[in-house]
Amino acid sequence: MLSEKVKEEIRGLFKKYRTKRSACMAAMQAVQREVGHLTEEDMREVAEMLGINPVRVHEVGAFYTMYNVQRPVGRYHIQVCTNLSCSLLGAEHIVNVIERRLGIKVGQTTPDNKFTLSTVQCLGSCGTAPMMQINDDYHEDLTEERVVEILDGLE
Amino acid sequence: MNEKKVKIVKRDTPGALDLAKKTVFLDFIKGLSITLRYNLSRSITIRYPDEEKWIPYPRFRGAHTLNRDEEGRELCVACELCVKACPTNCITVVPMEDDTGKGIADRVAKVWEVDLARCFFCGYCEDACPTTAVRLGRDYELACFELDKARKTKEELLKPQSVPEDFEGGIIVQAKLQRTKSGIKVKPNLWKKKEKK
Amino acid sequence: MGDRETGVVTLKVNGKEITVREGTLILDAAREAGCHIPTFCYQATLSGVGSCRMCLVEIEGQRKLQPSCVTPVMSGMEVKTESESVISARQAMLEFLLSNHALDCPVCDKGGECELQNMVYTYGPRKGRYAEVKIRHHEKDYVLSPVIVKNSNRCVQCMRCVRVCGEVVGRGVLGAIGRGAHQEETSFLRSYLDCDHDGMCIEVCPVGCFMRRPYRYRARPWDLRGSRTVCPYCATGCRMTIEERDGEVVRSIAREGEGFNDKMLCARGRFGYDILNSGGEERLTTPLIKKNGMFEPVSWEKALSIIREQFTKADPRRLGGIASAALTNEELYLFQRLVREVLGSGNIDSTSRWDAATTGAFIFATGITGGGVSIYDCMEAETVFVVGGQVSEENPVTDYIIRYVSDSSRKSVLVASTRAMKLDTSAELSLRHLPGRLGALFNGLVLTLYEDNQERLEGIKEIGVLKGRTVTDLAAECGVSEADLRALCARLESSGSISMVVGTDLLRFREGISGLRLLGDALRALGKVLKILPVLDRCNQRGAWDMGVHPLFGPDYRKVERAGLGCDGMLDQAMDGAMDALYVVGEDVVNMYPDRTFAEEALSRVGFLVVQDVSLTDTARMAHLVLPGAYPGEKEGTFTNQEGRVQHISRLLEPPGQARVDLEIIEAVGSSIVHGFSDGTPQTVFDEIRREVSMYRDAAFSGGSPDGWLVKKSARRLEGFELIEEKKVSLDADPEHPYFLVTGNHIFLSGSLSRRSGILNELVREAVVEISEEAAGELGVIDGQTVSVSGRGFDATYSVRIRKGTPREVVFIAENFEDKAANRFYKRGDVVPRVKITA
Repeated sequence: MLSEKVKEEIRGLFKKYRTKRSACMAAMQAVQREVGHLTEEDMREVAEMLGINPVRVHEVGAFYTMYNVQRPVGRYHIQVCTNLSCSLLGAEHIVNVIERRLGIKVGQTTPDNKFTLSTVQCLGSCGTAPMMQINDDYHEDLTEERVVEILDGLE
Repeated sequence: MNEKKVKIVKRDTPGALDLAKKTVFLDFIKGLSITLRYNLSRSITIRYPDEEKWIPYPRFRGAHTLNRDEEGRELCVACELCVKACPTNCITVVPMEDDTGKGIADRVAKVWEVDLARCFFCGYCEDACPTTAVRLGRDYELACFELDKARKTKEELLKPQSVPEDFEGGIIVQAKLQRTKSGIKVKPNLWKKKEKK
Repeated sequence: MGDRETGVVTLKVNGKEITVREGTLILDAAREAGCHIPTFCYQATLSGVGSCRMCLVEIEGQRKLQPSCVTPVMSGMEVKTESESVISARQAMLEFLLSNHALDCPVCDKGGECELQNMVYTYGPRKGRYAEVKIRHHEKDYVLSPVIVKNSNRCVQCMRCVRVCGEVVGRGVLGAIGRGAHQEETSFLRSYLDCDHDGMCIEVCPVGCFMRRPYRYRARPWDLRGSRTVCPYCATGCRMTIEERDGEVVRSIAREGEGFNDKMLCARGRFGYDILNSGGEERLTTPLIKKNGMFEPVSWEKALSIIREQFTKADPRRLGGIASAALTNEELYLFQRLVREVLGSGNIDSTSRWDAATTGAFIFATGITGGGVSIYDCMEAETVFVVGGQVSEENPVTDYIIRYVSDSSRKSVLVASTRAMKLDTSAELSLRHLPGRLGALFNGLVLTLYEDNQERLEGIKEIGVLKGRTVTDLAAECGVSEADLRALCARLESSGSISMVVGTDLLRFREGISGLRLLGDALRALGKVLKILPVLDRCNQRGAWDMGVHPLFGPDYRKVERAGLGCDGMLDQAMDGAMDALYVVGEDVVNMYPDRTFAEEALSRVGFLVVQDVSLTDTARMAHLVLPGAYPGEKEGTFTNQEGRVQHISRLLEPPGQARVDLEIIEAVGSSIVHGFSDGTPQTVFDEIRREVSMYRDAAFSGGSPDGWLVKKSARRLEGFELIEEKKVSLDADPEHPYFLVTGNHIFLSGSLSRRSGILNELVREAVVEISEEAAGELGVIDGQTVSVSGRGFDATYSVRIRKGTPREVVFIAENFEDKAANRFYKRGDVVPRVKITA
């Protein structure tokens, strides 16, 4: 069930767009900010509000890696870019460091539900490769030490 | 006019030697001795169907068999390609759905029938089969008392072959004649090989 | 640039010069030039996506190959479709497609008619180089709906299913989930679909990704023997081919280029074929005679002699015939001759639901005598006004055509109906009016037009009756806001050409017809090009009228010397005990007449009732003599659809047992009474029709264009229906029964024929009452809940279906649920029965 707050936020989004369905992406983001991921029920409700078929919402959610469709994530969602530039500058190593540090594999969540690790395609920050995104923040020019420092610094 | 010239051979009157030969039945004895010699020598015919049988080579094209994989699942997916390939239209296949693991896919044959009276054992069905389910086996005793019996159904064809796939063949083995209602079968004992020259 | 002015473009395809209309796609231009370009994702009725890249062509001066299915032609273009780079690009594309294709052709139901197979055979690489592990979306095929099985591992991502579902069917329940090679076209989280189940996704799928569930693993395409026929479930008259294996019909299929409907069929057409297999107890295989209340088999000779005896001894005025509008033209024509010439009676009808004067007026108002109008011609108009029926459910393919043509060419579609309908989403404006108030709606429109164009409409004298009325009170009468009514009128006024798609509500409610005629006259007087397409529900209703199976006119709408009685009148007469014999062919009067109890009572008083049908319908059970007839797949003949399109149907199976083709039975009945009545074949009877019915004079029996043949304008004028007295439908408040019951055909059912289809019944599942969101709120019920509906004389339980957008007071029950059919709520003379719903 969507909270009244999210519903209100989505209704507010309608003003920004010419048609309701255009608010799909923003609406899904609003839901994800609150719940952390998109459940079947949430997608149905968003679709209902936008007046479209739920499959349209699912399509958008499945296309973009930033939406976690039916995939619960921890409080911190670590997304490491493993595209070309980052890989050449050691993204694989960064992934290994994180895996060892957190004791999980790519795609898994720590038992305390704090971290989820994913690898993603280009996040558009090739100039500062290797890089990762934790929730909404970019962390760039990563080295092993910096990664450990960042992870330890998170509450 | 060409006068036909006929040469008349005048037979000699029998001599004393001939007479002697005749009185002791020499020619007869000569003939009997050949018979006797063959009676004692090793026979060159196969005593088929009573005692012996020739087991064909693996590539022999006899009656069809349907095969299973190592796990015992039917290999046939009822794709009907054998039906399409058959030049004599002797195969009938009707597919059905069965996802109980009976076959290698959820498509299995509801009906798989071949009319051996029509089949001329070209082996196209074998070639067409994408799963090696259909093989022409080594059974060549196809005579039957009724034409209906020449139609072999899936159940009969799925039974293990009388001669295992890896059996070498090309030999004669001991066999026993069996009369059944449907026809005559000669049951081989594959491990009793009969040595022939 | 001369080209721009003339709207044509000249280009070269493979060195051949060709001139086409501006905006034509290279693909179409090339096909016109005789160069075949292979495609997966391209489908003429769908929007272009250019996703499969099979149609790449080389254009002189452009470095990269271009997708011809989305690139329009330009003047002076030089296109090469068979150059070396094009050929190698095609090979590469196929290699890529195969790299993730399941390649389980021996198992796949599409094997043998698969576009990918064909393409690889024609253009493909003989060898694949891809050695990695293929993407597998799932291990086992999953069921997407009662009629659809899905295997995503075979998908080539052409998006045809997704597009057809949204653009043609208008449901949009399929989507492309994921991206790139991982994309899977499926429903929301692969859930079980609750859609129109029309299987359009199956038909458009080039590979075996979407498959028919009833046809699953039944046959290979080369095992099938097909025959071209016409769907018998509504008057859209879709061309289809039914195919059988070993005497069992296993599928019906519509193919591109084989009819005006191309690949389009609805659930009924695509999955209702199994009636042809419903043998067993249901099917009548021998004539039956009732003795002591029980049916006993009887020989044809005996049956015919009984008929002769009974029919000849009866007074012609106390005789009558009712033929179903699902018979072929030839059968209907001979039936009409039988009743009129042999029995000497004028009592004849082709429907048990509508009265004769109303149908006559409807024919007059919609201009059916003016000849056939193709639906595509109708769609050429600037504005399409859909009114008086639930096209989306009653004639789904008509709805598909309206939707895809209007969406792709930005037509303005206007909808006025009593209930919400699927077409609303494509409509520029859609209004809800009260049931039985179409007259007020039309009059409101006419009055609005009159206000704006007084002097030009002065010539139409009928407008006089509207003097003294105001648009405001007419709008209030039909339950539409005045602003909406005026907006609708403004749209009509601003368009130069208008097509009206008019449904059967006019016939059902017996009102609004003169309003329709007045609106037509007014629009024509304003110089609009007006086309009217009647939307009918029985497959040969228009043919039945053309053949003169009507008490008030004969073949070719010829005036009859002495008007007879329609179904209504005959039942009335039977009620008085003055009906000696009645011959009913294929019509289930008991289940269709709006007041079942009355129909049953009246039929029980008929002296001698002969019913000719395929199974023991409720009407047949009441008969004294039952004759076994045949299904459309078992006979040859022609059907005339709602557009006036004459289409040939051919025979696939033989009627079982002693059942015979209806044409032969009618001929035998006629000949048993009058020697030499007719012994023609469908072909010779059709020749007779061509001589007798001026509209059909040039029609071809079979062969000819795959799209059929549109009837010509009748040489005669239909007379006597200019002015009919209309019913005033009472909608007075009744606190006891707060809801108005409206009826019509269910989306999966039409007539009694469809009730015998196992597959369609599985789709219907249960009798449903459709209510509005507001009503559901009032009653506190949710979708799928069981409620009881009670009228003044009948009550039953139904499952609730909530329909958004339907007015609060309107509830709908389909006329097809035999034991819970809507006609049980009707009392004779009722037009809009009132009902009460309790949770």
